[in-house]
Amino acid sequence: MTALVRPFGELWKFRELISLLVTRDLKVRYKRSVLGMGWTLLNPLLQMVVYTLVFKTIMRVDVPQFPVFLLAGLLPWTLISASLTGAAHCLLNNQGLIRKVAVPQMVYPLAVVASKLVDLVLSLVPLAIIAALLGRPPGLSWLGLAPSLVLVTLFSSGLALLFSSLTVFYRDMRHLIDILIQVWFYVTPVIYPASYLEKLPYPALRWILSANPATPIVRCFQASLYEGRLPGASLLGLAALATVVVLGFGVLVFTSREAQHIHHF
Amino acid sequence: MSFRLYRERVDTLKEAVLGRFRHRKSYDDFWALRNVSFDVRPGESVGLIGHNGSGKSTLLKIAAGVLKPTEGRARVDGRISPMIELAAGFDPDLTGRDNIFLNGALMGHSRKEMAGKLDRIIEFSELGEFIDQPVKNYSSGMYARLGFAIAADVDPEILIIDEVLAVGDERFQAKCMERIRSIRQGGCTIFYVSHSMNQVVELCDRVIVLHHGQLAFDGAPEPAIARYRELQHFQPPPATQARMA
Repeated sequence: MTALVRPFGELWKFRELISLLVTRDLKVRYKRSVLGMGWTLLNPLLQMVVYTLVFKTIMRVDVPQFPVFLLAGLLPWTLISASLTGAAHCLLNNQGLIRKVAVPQMVYPLAVVASKLVDLVLSLVPLAIIAALLGRPPGLSWLGLAPSLVLVTLFSSGLALLFSSLTVFYRDMRHLIDILIQVWFYVTPVIYPASYLEKLPYPALRWILSANPATPIVRCFQASLYEGRLPGASLLGLAALATVVVLGFGVLVFTSREAQHIHHF
Repeated sequence: MSFRLYRERVDTLKEAVLGRFRHRKSYDDFWALRNVSFDVRPGESVGLIGHNGSGKSTLLKIAAGVLKPTEGRARVDGRISPMIELAAGFDPDLTGRDNIFLNGALMGHSRKEMAGKLDRIIEFSELGEFIDQPVKNYSSGMYARLGFAIAADVDPEILIIDEVLAVGDERFQAKCMERIRSIRQGGCTIFYVSHSMNQVVELCDRVIVLHHGQLAFDGAPEPAIARYRELQHFQPPPATQARMA
């Protein structure tokens, strides 16, 4: 247990470093772009338009107010997937610092997640507006966002720690992650409701897909933001379980290999 | 400290998997440092000299905690600056001002602490309005000025100073030496790595000579420098000596 807790005490000392790394990321990302932060808001909206056109208009997925449903699941999914892609490069990109400055290396993947979390929180604004326009104005159920955000952030952190470390040892991971994300996206109920999975006629497949740890986390968001109800105890429990497992595994792998990273850059 | 020098890098899954079956060692062990033992008392100012590749940086990396020793151990009591070079934490795209905060945070100092030191650091660095320019536009001298100004102001108990003084202009070098002297009087332990023997003599009470990863000498500065030159079969030409003296 101490192996899991000790790194976090160290990290607390470097919380300001994480926030500076996040500001650095945002500054560098938006420098010399005309729209700046606007891209953060525009990106999910453009995706929303495309997915709505394809899945609602062309493929006729039967979900009322599809854009609201889609965004509710797409925003947490984007945090998960962007954390994964960003983490794959973060230790390699920061090797200049890692070779010369002794700080807990966890700060680098965690800064990636934090910076994507900023994007997610900002994107909640256009989501609220669209939800209000389509007749599902934000209400009390949005309080469910608080635990959901904590869970999705910790879950993404676990993945980021795991894959940032693995990428240092095996550069193939970068390609593998791209494929993993695509497959994972389609088996996670973001563009279709979770009930579609429960009604699948193949029990084996249903069973495999029910083990997808991203599903309960995305569902927490859909409950709060789309269905207008607080995520239930069993749903939150499942999401928390998935988070604890992924985070614990990520922390263990990362801390046990941290000292070796420098030899593999 | 041992490094693996790979004949061919094994950084793909395929290599890692196939390598298991082939049972072929694909690397040579290289000892960058071996059998190097010494103690440093608080407040001592220790010079570290040796030829290029002798293990000076590796030693500093172990002291700062960037590398874990392969065997043996390194014990550090007190706050050591975690950077092995003065400007190691700079991000080229950020301004000088932002980099002051970034470097402060890398050394574990809060934003508030650094805000209190900001004016003094900018003043010492003499960068003036350039402090709000991205540091990628700085000359190497300006880089070094800012790096030193930050390191000198965060008062660690153990300070690592590298070759930085070589790039500053003469007047700034003198100013830095003055500053180092006053830091030293304040009881700070100093690790000073340099190829400038004059500065080593001037600043250090004790000098460690590394030669191909081995500890070749540990003692007073003058005999250390003599031993270092003897190992290299080198005597500086008399003209240089005269000019530098």
